[in-house]
Amino acid sequence: MSFKESALREPLIEGNKTYKDVTEDICGPTDGAPGKEWWILFVISVALLMYGAFCVTWFVYFGIGTWGSNKTVGWAWDITNFVWWIGIGHAGTLISAILLLFRQKWRTGVNRAAEAMTIFAVMCAGMFPVLHMGRVWMGFFILPYPNTRGPLWPNFVSPLLWDVFAISTYFSVSLMFWYTGLIPDIATLRDRAKSAFRKKFYGVLSFGWTGSAKHWQRHEALSLVLAGLSTPLVLSVHTIVSFDFATSVIPGWHTTIFPPYFVAGAIFSGFAMVLTLMIMTRRILHLEEYITMSHIDSMNRVITLTGSIVGVAYLTELFTAWYSGSLYEQYAFANRALGPYWWSYWGMMFCNVVSPQLFWSGKIRRSIFWTFFLSVVVNIGMWFERFVIIVTSLHRDYLPSSWTMYSPTWVEVGFYLGTFGLFFTLYLLFAKFFPVIAVAEIKSVLKTAGENPARTAELKAIQEKANQVDGVAVA
Amino acid sequence: MEKKYWKGLEELQANKEFTKAQKNEFQEDLPLEDVFNEGIGEKNTGRRDFLKMMGFSVAAATIAASCEIPVRKAIPYVIKPEEIVPGVANWYASSYSDGGEYCSIMVKSREGRPIKVEGNPNSPLTKGGTSARVQASVLSLYDTGRAKGPSINGNEAKWDAIDTAITSALVAGPVAVLTSTVLSPSTQGVINDFVTKFAGTHVTYDAHSASGMLAANEADFGTRAIPNYRFDKAEVIVSFGADFLGTWIAPVQYTKQYVAGRKLNNADMKMSKHFQIESMLSLAGANADNRIVIHPSEEGLAVSGLYNLLKGGSCSLSCKTQLKQVADALIAAKGKSLVVSGSNDKNIQQVVNQINAMLENYGTTVDMSNVSYQRQGDDASVATLLNDIKAGKYKTVIIAGCNPVYDYPKGDWTAALKGVACTISFNDRIDETTAACKYHTPDNHFLESWSDAAPMKGEYSLIQPVIAPLFKTRQMQDSLLKWSGASVDFLAYLQNYWTANVITNEGDKQAAWDNAVKNGVFSTGAAEATAMSPKGDVNAALSAIAATYTGKSDSVAVVLYEKVGLGNGKYANNPWLQEMPDPITKATWDNYACISYNYAMKLNLLENNASMFSDHKPLWDAKEVRMIEVSVNGAKVKLPAIVQPGMADNTIAIAVGYGRTAAGKVGNGVGQNAYPLMTWANNAWLPVAFNASVNTTNDKYTVAQTQTHHSYEGRRIVKETTLADHKQNPHAVNADRKEIVEATTTLYGDNRRFGDHEYKGHKWHMAIDLNSCIGCGNCTVACQSENNVSVVGKEHVVRAHEMHWIRIDRYYSIGNKEGGFNTMEKNINADPNFENVQVTFQPMLCQHCANAPCENVCPVNATNHSSEGLNQMAYNRCIGTRYCANNCPYKVRRFNWLDWNGADSFEGNLHDDADMANSLTRMVLNPDVTVRARGVIEKCSFCVQRIQEGKLEAKKNDMRLMDGMVKTACQSSCPADAIVFGDINDAQSAVRSIYDEEDTKRLYFVIEELNIQPSVGYLAKVRNTDKIASWKESNGKKHEGHEAHAEKA
Repeated sequence: MSFKESALREPLIEGNKTYKDVTEDICGPTDGAPGKEWWILFVISVALLMYGAFCVTWFVYFGIGTWGSNKTVGWAWDITNFVWWIGIGHAGTLISAILLLFRQKWRTGVNRAAEAMTIFAVMCAGMFPVLHMGRVWMGFFILPYPNTRGPLWPNFVSPLLWDVFAISTYFSVSLMFWYTGLIPDIATLRDRAKSAFRKKFYGVLSFGWTGSAKHWQRHEALSLVLAGLSTPLVLSVHTIVSFDFATSVIPGWHTTIFPPYFVAGAIFSGFAMVLTLMIMTRRILHLEEYITMSHIDSMNRVITLTGSIVGVAYLTELFTAWYSGSLYEQYAFANRALGPYWWSYWGMMFCNVVSPQLFWSGKIRRSIFWTFFLSVVVNIGMWFERFVIIVTSLHRDYLPSSWTMYSPTWVEVGFYLGTFGLFFTLYLLFAKFFPVIAVAEIKSVLKTAGENPARTAELKAIQEKANQVDGVAVA
Repeated sequence: MEKKYWKGLEELQANKEFTKAQKNEFQEDLPLEDVFNEGIGEKNTGRRDFLKMMGFSVAAATIAASCEIPVRKAIPYVIKPEEIVPGVANWYASSYSDGGEYCSIMVKSREGRPIKVEGNPNSPLTKGGTSARVQASVLSLYDTGRAKGPSINGNEAKWDAIDTAITSALVAGPVAVLTSTVLSPSTQGVINDFVTKFAGTHVTYDAHSASGMLAANEADFGTRAIPNYRFDKAEVIVSFGADFLGTWIAPVQYTKQYVAGRKLNNADMKMSKHFQIESMLSLAGANADNRIVIHPSEEGLAVSGLYNLLKGGSCSLSCKTQLKQVADALIAAKGKSLVVSGSNDKNIQQVVNQINAMLENYGTTVDMSNVSYQRQGDDASVATLLNDIKAGKYKTVIIAGCNPVYDYPKGDWTAALKGVACTISFNDRIDETTAACKYHTPDNHFLESWSDAAPMKGEYSLIQPVIAPLFKTRQMQDSLLKWSGASVDFLAYLQNYWTANVITNEGDKQAAWDNAVKNGVFSTGAAEATAMSPKGDVNAALSAIAATYTGKSDSVAVVLYEKVGLGNGKYANNPWLQEMPDPITKATWDNYACISYNYAMKLNLLENNASMFSDHKPLWDAKEVRMIEVSVNGAKVKLPAIVQPGMADNTIAIAVGYGRTAAGKVGNGVGQNAYPLMTWANNAWLPVAFNASVNTTNDKYTVAQTQTHHSYEGRRIVKETTLADHKQNPHAVNADRKEIVEATTTLYGDNRRFGDHEYKGHKWHMAIDLNSCIGCGNCTVACQSENNVSVVGKEHVVRAHEMHWIRIDRYYSIGNKEGGFNTMEKNINADPNFENVQVTFQPMLCQHCANAPCENVCPVNATNHSSEGLNQMAYNRCIGTRYCANNCPYKVRRFNWLDWNGADSFEGNLHDDADMANSLTRMVLNPDVTVRARGVIEKCSFCVQRIQEGKLEAKKNDMRLMDGMVKTACQSSCPADAIVFGDINDAQSAVRSIYDEEDTKRLYFVIEELNIQPSVGYLAKVRNTDKIASWKESNGKKHEGHEAHAEKA
């Protein structure tokens, strides 16, 4: 007898888990007091957050002049960090929405944390455009509300205004999507809760979820609608962020390839950040069986793809500059590569284009150490990319008389560190009080009897035995 | 009967209490008492009470919060002065006259406060031009460093007490009066009377004197004065180190003349040829067509070399071929040439006189009949005076308008003054010299004074007060009159003087006087200029030169110069001048040692053989540069070394006027005092030293420059051509424009002049002639004064936070070994000859683009376009995203990085390094222009307040706004008439005629290819020389075809 036996798909969850195991493994960490590692990280994060708050107070009080930006380089670390955080905030919704629509079941292991990360990253990102304003207390001028000044509306052709809409929409949809997914799991936590406080806390947050068929039906429907809404948002947010630059007249900014290039870059950095966090989370919360090697492998493949897209974009930019025949355009790109900020350009090239190519090797792709290391490298590279685009384009534009150099001050660095504080504080609180893996969703991909490989092997052995008894040879 | 409903049993039973309560409108009291007595927590507050209380607290909080705005009192006139209409400016003619510097001015006064100084177009000398110091002089009126009243030994005193003390001291014996150049004939009269009465002497002392020239003219012509030069009549101008456009004698007047001789129009393609022979790059040198760089020790030899060459002899200097060209050009322009020298060496000046005589320039370009009085200082008599004071010859010494303790090169004035019983200082503050004097009787500011000035023979000018003295000061002349027991005050004296000496030929004296006050100037007519020949012994002068000037170009020499902005240091406490970028180095707030590239290499100051044009090397932008110690005969200064193109090798150029110790809060300790480095020779202080020695140190220092990249990188933002090429084909310089216009014409057609929108009324435009602009930077200060532009201080200039609305971009084209010029960094690096440099100045301000990139990116519409083509800022609306600044291709938008002026709503975050936000100095603010708060963007508004004023004036007079009724501050301040502003829709306007005439010739717009439709047109620069930087440098072959094409067309 001969037939082709297809290669077994790797299981999405390792270890012969039952539904109860899943609930215990994932909800367990939220029960007890946090561990020492958590506390150390939390204290560091809160300290960074406080320092960031101090720096913000400092520059809101004294003025943006406490930064290193100047008459020529009007945006520097502020907008670099804004775009960087927004980019990071791309992976979550991509994983939840687009991969949901594409029926990529492996996403269930990582989507919850990735979405949380998205929300926190967007919150961090939002800090920058708000606080980089010279008069942040007048920031509400940017909102289109009926007023007694005419009424005077914001300028609807300004990409900064589009940013306001794009980011606030993205944030609210992402938040809703994330929370919708959380409801059944919060209900699980509520049902497991022993203390009155926890019962009440999770009870309120679960919105009275009982797990009835009607609830599930509505939940599924809402999830799909939100996924449908989020999908274009994933593409639009960074497209619109890229318009901040693409619609300008500055050489190095005025580029039509920015939207796809920014979106690819955002997914690239977002996935890298998800990996950085997931590798830490699975280690700290002992979730190696849920966030498996194959997850890491898949995500590394996405990183290789998007990294290569970004690389092609870099080369296209160079070609376009050369082909344009425009002196200013050519100089802008020559200056990126060979000017005083050459290190940021080559840092970007190395981190974003060269380093992800290592993932062509399966060994590296499936190595925790390499993945972690390269995910950090990629995020450094993506920071460099934004710095290159913003600072090196601005610091030498049309008139050489106004060329300047830029370097950050402690205030700007503190602001950036503060957003790390905010991000990790929120993430740690999330990891402590909520299931970092979507319990309900992961149960849907838990292989039951017929699909469960362990069970299959068992059955196979039984059948073999029976066959031997019957005297039929097994091929 | 109507049916009755009871509200309850109480009503039915007509309960007593109920009836009583019914009469009461509010039947229940607010349970406030309960609340306050029992505490909110314990009281079971009802829903309504809660709402009431909440309503009350919200209302109370709102009222309380909205009352936070501080009340600022504005007090109306009880009796309104007749001539003052609130909101309308009054203009008074006056004169700026200080230590020989002169400018006829109009002072703008608002509600009794002088707030702006403009040039007086009635003046036949300065013709409405100004200099930066003239513009900034109004700020010195409100200087907090000024003395608030008289003092004795530093202790405040009453005028009466001082007068008594001085009057009794004066009788003790001979009096010495030491003043800077006195241009006022009536003041001179007062001083003469005074010294006659007290058997004294009057000595004139200028820190940077022209003694040598005065002595030479005395020897040659018997007149101790400076001739009246006519740069406008000269076809060939040769200057030996005289910075006649920046600092030498009468720069405003000379600039007017110089530019008149170089203005090009299509009918008259003539411009003078200017040779500058110098050791450092001066402002005049930067404008020269050809520069010859010599070592300071060759200065005299170059003059005598030229003399010999003109006589048909020879010259042994290394620059002899270039000097031969100069000689040939001069001979060709005999009678229409002019040779000047900035040297303070009598011998050099005598040879220069001989050269001018040989070229038959006396009577045409050099006029000894109508002499200038603008420098009278006599170094020799000052030296004698110092010795006499030391010897105890004088019992009283009076100092007025000079500061020898600070700026006298060698000799201890402090000790000398301390040795005199009665020393009196008239200076406006307790400066270095005043501190050594017993009595301080501060003089008024000139805007608080009556006086006159005679800058030139036959040319008179009046000074009238525009404000009552701010402090308890008294005019010097009044003090002198009072002490000498005269019965008249100075105004009467002045009028008498004028009646007797000036307006002698006028019939109606009062009318003549009134007219002179109104116009500010009065001419008694010029004498006929006559040809003259110098009587002095030229051979003696030549041999003296040969003895003094060794021509050892390998020895280290120091050249001292005045900065165009700060001058001799008297105005060191003026923040506008301190922050004004030097026209050449673009440095602010410091002096420094300028050295050549080769010399820097020799001193090993440039690490790793860095080229100054290389980006990766720190020296390029004067940040963290090494300091050097320069010593001359025991005098020492330690200064940061800046590499300066156009410098002679082994030469160090240092600006004087810095290192003040008692100038005031702002000027103290800025830079180092370089006066002690001067050399005494030939009875004069020469601003050079030949035997300097230099020690390099490892100390680093940052000089605050507003421009840190110095070449224009082959970009077509600057267009220049040679006169010969331009004559041959006037269209060639603009050949690429046709292509740009074609490439950027949109589907909506070519509307680059008028913009995409239709402008039915006015459409404001500006034309800037790069051929006229000399780069003096005066407009920067004028704009600062007009538009309340903040001063940020050195630290923030270093951080590129300066606020100037108009700046002068200064670009170098660096010579190469083949004699041509390069502008691109890589070409400069490959083949540099830094000595050979051409300089281009480009005023850069908001271009008011019709298709402005800043406008569409502002999220809140804070910057938008007016119906007259102005790109305007609504400061109140701005939230400070700085997106507009980023997207401005000219980088002219300025952000209020910190609270520079106290205009924001936060207490205690003022950043006022320059002491501009105090209530005294704030009086200089223009009430028509908003003071910008922290966090908003600002920029040039085309002086919208002046446009508005002009429009209102036209409306009031029921007339059309005529061209010239609106002048921007930069335009009216410009001594070179480089800026023309007006309505392009007005077919008669000057700007329209320039646009029409020059459209295809010299007119271009900077980065026009972006289709942003700027409203500022530039006229290409034309150099009267053979070689300039090739504009094909950046993009060789591509453009050549187009040029050929354009030439055919």
